[in-house]
Amino acid sequence: MKRKTRRLWLVIACVAGLGTAAGLTLSAFSSNIQLFMAPSQVVDHPPAADRTIRLGGMVVAGSVKRERQGETPINLFQVTDGQAAVTVRFEGILPDLFREGQSVVAVGSLEPDKTFVASEVLAKHDETYMPKEVAEALQKSGKWNPKFGPPPDAASWNAMTGKDTAAGKN
Amino acid sequence: MTHLPYILASYGLAGSLAVILSVGAALRLKRDRLKLASLEAARGRAQSGTQGGQRA
Amino acid sequence: MNGRTLSATPTLTERAGALFHRYANPGRFLRLGDRIQPWLTWSAVIITLIGLGWGLFFSPADWQQGDSVRIMYVHVPCAWLSSSGYFALAVCSVLSLVWKHPLADLAAVEIGPVGACVTATCLATGSLWGKPMWGTWWVWDARLTSVLVLFFLYLGHIALIHAFDDQQRGYRAAAILALAGAVDLPIIKFSVQWWNTLHQPASITLTGAPTMSQTMLWPLLISTLGFTLGFTAIVVARLRAGVMESRIRSLLSSPRRAVSGEASA
Repeated sequence: MKRKTRRLWLVIACVAGLGTAAGLTLSAFSSNIQLFMAPSQVVDHPPAADRTIRLGGMVVAGSVKRERQGETPINLFQVTDGQAAVTVRFEGILPDLFREGQSVVAVGSLEPDKTFVASEVLAKHDETYMPKEVAEALQKSGKWNPKFGPPPDAASWNAMTGKDTAAGKN
Repeated sequence: MTHLPYILASYGLAGSLAVILSVGAALRLKRDRLKLASLEAARGRAQSGTQGGQRA
Repeated sequence: MNGRTLSATPTLTERAGALFHRYANPGRFLRLGDRIQPWLTWSAVIITLIGLGWGLFFSPADWQQGDSVRIMYVHVPCAWLSSSGYFALAVCSVLSLVWKHPLADLAAVEIGPVGACVTATCLATGSLWGKPMWGTWWVWDARLTSVLVLFFLYLGHIALIHAFDDQQRGYRAAAILALAGAVDLPIIKFSVQWWNTLHQPASITLTGAPTMSQTMLWPLLISTLGFTLGFTAIVVARLRAGVMESRIRSLLSSPRRAVSGEASA
């Protein structure tokens, strides 16, 4: 084998070995790399009350209650992953993107009474980018309600403009 | 426009970085080209000088 | 060149090596670079201005993000470029380690800082986008962390390539680092699928239809093309300077020897 060929194989072998090692390490630590726990995980294996965890899921439609205690707003809402729901209590101002049906990540701990007291709430937006008029048109035509899930495929509304759908074009 | 400060900061950052990198590269090219030309001219002179000396 | 060759037919490695030497020797690159530089530079400027102008003034606001979605036209091209720039660095490293190609070493020196700048812009614009949308400047999720690691890999590469008195050893150490760091690229790409993250999954994939309005997709693709051309133009300009500097160095170190144009080829 010529020297260059040998060097090439050496490089390929090193990269393959390193890649395997990295893959094994990552899969071993996979649960630690997760940013948040799902509500069903929290319900099945409740973490200790003093442990700070991140809870991620969708805000249940119709579950948001906003109160006011003096100056600080108090928000109560439920977060679900489709299997279980956890009630979250958060004192403070919610991010702009917070709404029913939105995915959120709440940082805090689970109280003994099974409510999750959050010190911070982050909004997670999905990978769909859609002009405002299209979103309004989709909602008006009843094809989609953002409170209950992700929007339909882009292909189905790409040709759409606000005027088209207002006229009931399908 | 909503969130204008954030948008302007992003575009400004990317734009200024592009300007800094391109101006830096252009200046470096100019400097190197001058230096290389002067070195090659000096070498050419030295070579023709020695050759001329041998011929004489 | 292949003095050790015993068999008459050259192996694939040798043929590939000969190809690289023929088309990428420093002198040839200098002549080629002189010719393509103006085209690269001006097409990059024009296409980037079209893409960003479209994104900033003519594309629609997002239904839930409002106008802040316009940060995407800067952030996403930078994010893609930070990964593809690192991929280019890894390719240079293979060429350097296996074929000892001098132009690949010089290219690695020049790609590093530009890639680091692009990655820094990606992180900063992502932060500027995250604050109004997510409600935080930074979160330690898998996507953000793996891109931060990429930034540190770039910085490590820059530091390592200049760390040795013997330049060849610096090239070699940096090439090994760049190759080892390439495992971060698939991690960045798939982090949003393998783990749950605050960062949303990709809108544009090779396999599926984009989950983005066409009115936003076009300016994004155009500014990506512009950014990529700009990255290439800056790297080519720096590399031309780098080749000239290596020639200057060899002229200064051996002024009497008649150094041909391809001093280090």
